[in-house]
Parts: sequence; C-alpha cells; structure tokens
Amino acid sequence: MPSYLHFIALALYGAAAALALAPFAGRRAVPRGLLLAVPSAGAAFHVAGLTQLPSVGLAFALSLLAFFIVCLQIVSERLLRVSAVALFTAPLAAGLVGLALLLGLAPGAAPAAGRNVWLVLHVALSVLGLALLALAFIAAALYLLQFRELKAKRFGQVFQVFPPLERLDQLNRSALVAGFPALTLGVLLAIGYAVRFAGGFRVDPAQVVWGLFTWAVLGAAVWLRVGRRWTGRRAAVLSIAGFSAVLLVYLALKLASPGSERFL
Amino acid sequence: MSLTMTLVGVNHRTAPLEVRERFAHGAHEVPGALGRVLAAGASGGVLLSTCNRTEFYLSDAAETALDAVWSLLGERLGDGREARPYGYLRRDRDAARQLYRVAAGLDSMILGESQIQGQVRDAWELSRGLAGAVLHRLFQSALHVGARVRTETAIGRGAASAPSAAVALAGKIFGELRGRRALILGAGDMAELAAACLVDAGVQVTIVANRTVERARAVADRLGAGAAAQTLDDAWEHFAVADIVIASTAAPHAVVTWARIAPAVARRDGRPLCILDLAVPRDVEPAVGQLENVFLYDLDDLQAVAGQGSAERRAEIPRAEQIVEEEVASFWNWHDTLAVVPVLKEFRGRMEAVRAAELERVFKQLRHLSAEDRDRLARFSESLLNKFLHEPTLALKREAEAGDGYLLVEALRKLFHLEREE
Repeated sequence: MPSYLHFIALALYGAAAALALAPFAGRRAVPRGLLLAVPSAGAAFHVAGLTQLPSVGLAFALSLLAFFIVCLQIVSERLLRVSAVALFTAPLAAGLVGLALLLGLAPGAAPAAGRNVWLVLHVALSVLGLALLALAFIAAALYLLQFRELKAKRFGQVFQVFPPLERLDQLNRSALVAGFPALTLGVLLAIGYAVRFAGGFRVDPAQVVWGLFTWAVLGAAVWLRVGRRWTGRRAAVLSIAGFSAVLLVYLALKLASPGSERFL
Repeated sequence: MSLTMTLVGVNHRTAPLEVRERFAHGAHEVPGALGRVLAAGASGGVLLSTCNRTEFYLSDAAETALDAVWSLLGERLGDGREARPYGYLRRDRDAARQLYRVAAGLDSMILGESQIQGQVRDAWELSRGLAGAVLHRLFQSALHVGARVRTETAIGRGAASAPSAAVALAGKIFGELRGRRALILGAGDMAELAAACLVDAGVQVTIVANRTVERARAVADRLGAGAAAQTLDDAWEHFAVADIVIASTAAPHAVVTWARIAPAVARRDGRPLCILDLAVPRDVEPAVGQLENVFLYDLDDLQAVAGQGSAERRAEIPRAEQIVEEEVASFWNWHDTLAVVPVLKEFRGRMEAVRAAELERVFKQLRHLSAEDRDRLARFSESLLNKFLHEPTLALKREAEAGDGYLLVEALRKLFHLEREE
C-alpha cells in the first residue's frame, strides 16, 4: 500500500515538474491554481504513504525529504509566488521518491528497537532542516540565473518565468533562518535521545559527523546572512557553496562507510 | 513639374542606440538642419527625430539634397564616419507608406505605441514653415492614418510605454516596489511620466533637476505623495540609498559616470541598484553597468521588454497594414492629381488665348456690333470653350485619381504642344 501511494505521489510530482517546465517548452504558462493543486495532491498521497512506514532507514528519510521539499514548494508559492522554484523542487522530489522506491520502502516492517517520539521528532526536524537548506540552495540557484539574465539584458523565458531577484533573496534568507532552528532542535533531540536512551539505538559515527557538519554550515550561513547582513549575489553563492559542501561531505562519508543502512 | 517625395532616414532597425543618439535632433536644431538640406536642392522638408528614428521627408529633392542629409548625419557621427550604412532611402509611395506605418505604430519598437503619434505631430508643427504643400498634406494624412489604425484595430490595446516598461523591469529586480526609493534625473515630460508610474507603484520619489531646482520642485509638487526635489550636485550621494534611478535629462552627454557614482555604489552592501536610462542621447555611461549589483538598462532594453507579450497586438498587423495601403493609395491619388493640375492649367490657358485671339479677329470684322452684342458674343465663346473643355478636364482628373493620368497628360502635351515643366 505505501509503495502504491508513493507511486501516485511520484507520478504527480513528475506532472508538477512537467507543468513547471511548460513555459520553457514554448507552452503557455500554467495557471497558478494548477501549479499548487498537482503537488498538493501528490503531497496528500505521499503523507498517506509515509504514515504507514517505520520512521527509520534511508528510503524513509529520502521519502520524508521529498515530502518536505514539496511542502516547502507549496508554502513558498502561496506566500511569495515563486512558481519557478518548482522547476527544481518537483524533479528533485520525484527523483527522491523514485530513489526511495528503488531502495525499497518496507511497509509493515517491524519498528526498530528504541524508536520513540524523541527519535521521530529528531528525524523529522533534521530532515526538515535539510529540506530548508535545499530550498535555500534552489532559491540561490534561481537568483544567480536570473541575475545573469538581468545583467546580460536577456529578456527570454528565464527573465519572464523566474521570480524577481529580491523575492528569491528573501526566500533564500527565510529558508536558512527557518532551517537553522529546525536542524538545531533535531541535533539537540539527538543528543537528548543519546543521553536518555543510551544504547537504545545504534548510531553511525559518520552520521553524527555529517549531521553536525550540516548544522555548522547552516549556522555559518545564517550568521553571515543575519549577523553580517550578506545579501544578493554574495549570499546566493554562499548558499550554493554551503549546500554543495554538505552534499560532498555526505558522499565522502558514504563512500568511506559503505553498507550503512540508515541516513548514510 | 516634378512632384517627387523622398525619405532619408535611420531607425532602430538599421542603427544601434549609440548611433541613433548622435543623430537625434533637438527641437532647436531642426530649422537649421532642414534649412541646410533644402538649400542643397529640395522644395520642402520635414524632420522627424525621435529616440528611435531620424527621418528627413523631402519633396522634389535633388541628389545634392540627399547628399546633404548624409553629410549632416555623418558630421554628427564624427571621426569621419559615414552615416549612409546606417540608413535607408524611400521614394514616393514607399516614403508615404513609411510615414504612415510610423504614425500607426507599426514601425515602433513597441508595436502600436501611441507616443509616436504626438511625435509625428510635433515634427510637422516644427517644420511647418518649410514643409511645402505635399508634405503638409502627407503629415496631416499620417495623423489621420495613425488615428484610424488605432481606432479600427486593437494594435494599440495594452501597448506599454518606455516608462511603464521601466517600472516592470524594476519589478523584476525588486518584486514589490512599494516603499522603495527612486531618484529621477531630469524634470522633462518623460521623467515626469516615469516618476508618475513609480509614485503609482508606491515608490518614494526624488526629482533631480539638471539645471534649476525650481523645475524639479514643480514636478514634485504635481506628483505629490511626498515627492522631493534636489539639484544634480546633491544627487550622487543618493546612489548609495536609492533602489531605482531613472535618467531622462536633455543633456548632450552622459551625466551619470562611473567616477561619480562608484563610491556611493560601493556602500550599498550588495543591494541591487536598477538604473533606467530613458534619455537619447544617453545620460548614463555604459561602463556603469559593469558595477557589481548595478543593473543598467537603456531605451532599447526597455522597448524590448515592453514589446514582449504583444501576440494579440501582432495579430492586428495585417489589418493595420491594409489600412495603411488604402491610405497610401488615397494619398497617391491626390498626389497624382497635382501633376495634372499644371498641365490642365496650361491647356486651358492655351485654349483661352486661342479664344481671345479669334474673338478679337471676329470683332475686327464685325465692327458694327454694339458693345452689348460684343459682350454677348464674348460670353458665348467663353461658355462654348468651357463646355468643350469640361468633359476632357473631368476625364483627365478622373484618370489621374485612378492612377492612370500619366498617358492622358502626355497625349495632351503632344497634341497641343504644351511645354514640359521640370
């Protein structure tokens, strides 16, 4: 059943990606209502599938990440009217769900030992923090693309479809600022869990390293954006560098500790 | 009599902005430029100079007059450069068609824009004393064509202007414009229109006058909404805080230079600055666009933006072109009748001379006639002549209006040995 629901979500995210790409294929821009409705429907099936899964394992984490990314896309569109974000979020979410399905979502698997609300919240907040970092990256990438078009005085599809620069900058800042407390809380819950339920759940050291590294990157980005008031192109480059570093460290750790079954 | 019409021009399709801005003539320069061209061999002329075009409409222009136009434009280019490669030449019907298309907004960068209608009117008013009958009629009818195209088609519906495109472009950088700060350099019509667009969008505007602050103050008062006025000397520091700068002064050279604004821009902490140069010649040095986070756009860029999304207006082009063709045909019919008039006049004069001579001869032979009878006989001869000439005259005019008068005119000349006027 969860796989079936995930397949529907995957199809709807794919459709959302196609709708977002329509203006670049010479088609008329899709009505905003449809741009909201399709991923919302996908997210509804998705959440139904997620609730039936045990909240551990790489496949679950990837699926949860995809779900959060789609939710953030919908919220961004509703609050800031940044439809072009779906150009990245929809294919990314579809890819993550597809990967989760390939890895094997295990409906009805026995809950892991030591699973409790602390762990569930830790996973949810950490993945949300990661999704917000990904959103910040996407906003930054869109910013740099639009920046380049505006500087080069090219008034094509990117100029027309992409949101205004400052709105993308605002989205990037909001995602970083919201992501940091979410990830911080996720890390604190992990520490609290380790202290309170010591020995209840096996933790990979690489996972701890990556989690703390991601938290440090996000913290540094927020400090530069809020404390040092970095904006615009500089802030966009910072977000892209931070996200790339998180991704590279993840891959490095993954290669260094093959066969890990959890986050990494 | 020759009644040729020639157009020598340069427009946005044939020359880039950096060339067009050199060809642009201020109102005070028009009489001098036209006078020089007419002196070189043309009976009438109108100079239409806008940000997108510089067109000399000439009647009965000799080749020397055309050379004078190229020479005049070449001088404005400087460095011994030739203007001819940037321009075009249209004659007679093609010249009329070009003006009609211009007035209808068909030749504008922003299809169907209405500002050109006023510019055609201004050009006509400015050159009126030098235009001559044919160009006078041509420009008068061009305004009619412009109005007709805009009334009978939807080509002008929703067409943007450069200032409104400037606001749209600023919106692509800042999103919401409410609460932003704008600096308007210049206090002319275009500057005021741009400022009004920004005020409507909720932008806090400061008007900067190029010469006198009083003029800027007057514009600021008209705009209301807290608009302020300043002198140019105090404006440079505002580049550190303003979000949008619109430059539209009448200065003959760039007033906003890298050296003047770079120190202020460096203090912006990476915030974007949108500079929109609506002036021709340009007010902003192109190098300013190289500054980090500075987005510089000139009139060509704004018009490219404004010209987008005009699919519905483009669909009206065939109908608009049809109207233009109808009006060109109508004008040319009138124009053709002009060629017939002097021939007819001479023909009638010749007949009248024959009548007078014959009457005189008859009076000499019939000396016994009373004054009253002589008068009656004279009226009879006049009436007879008029009756004989009535049908041929009408036929000639009719054929001329239908565009086929040339052969009849030639026949008349040959049959009655009329002089050929050139």
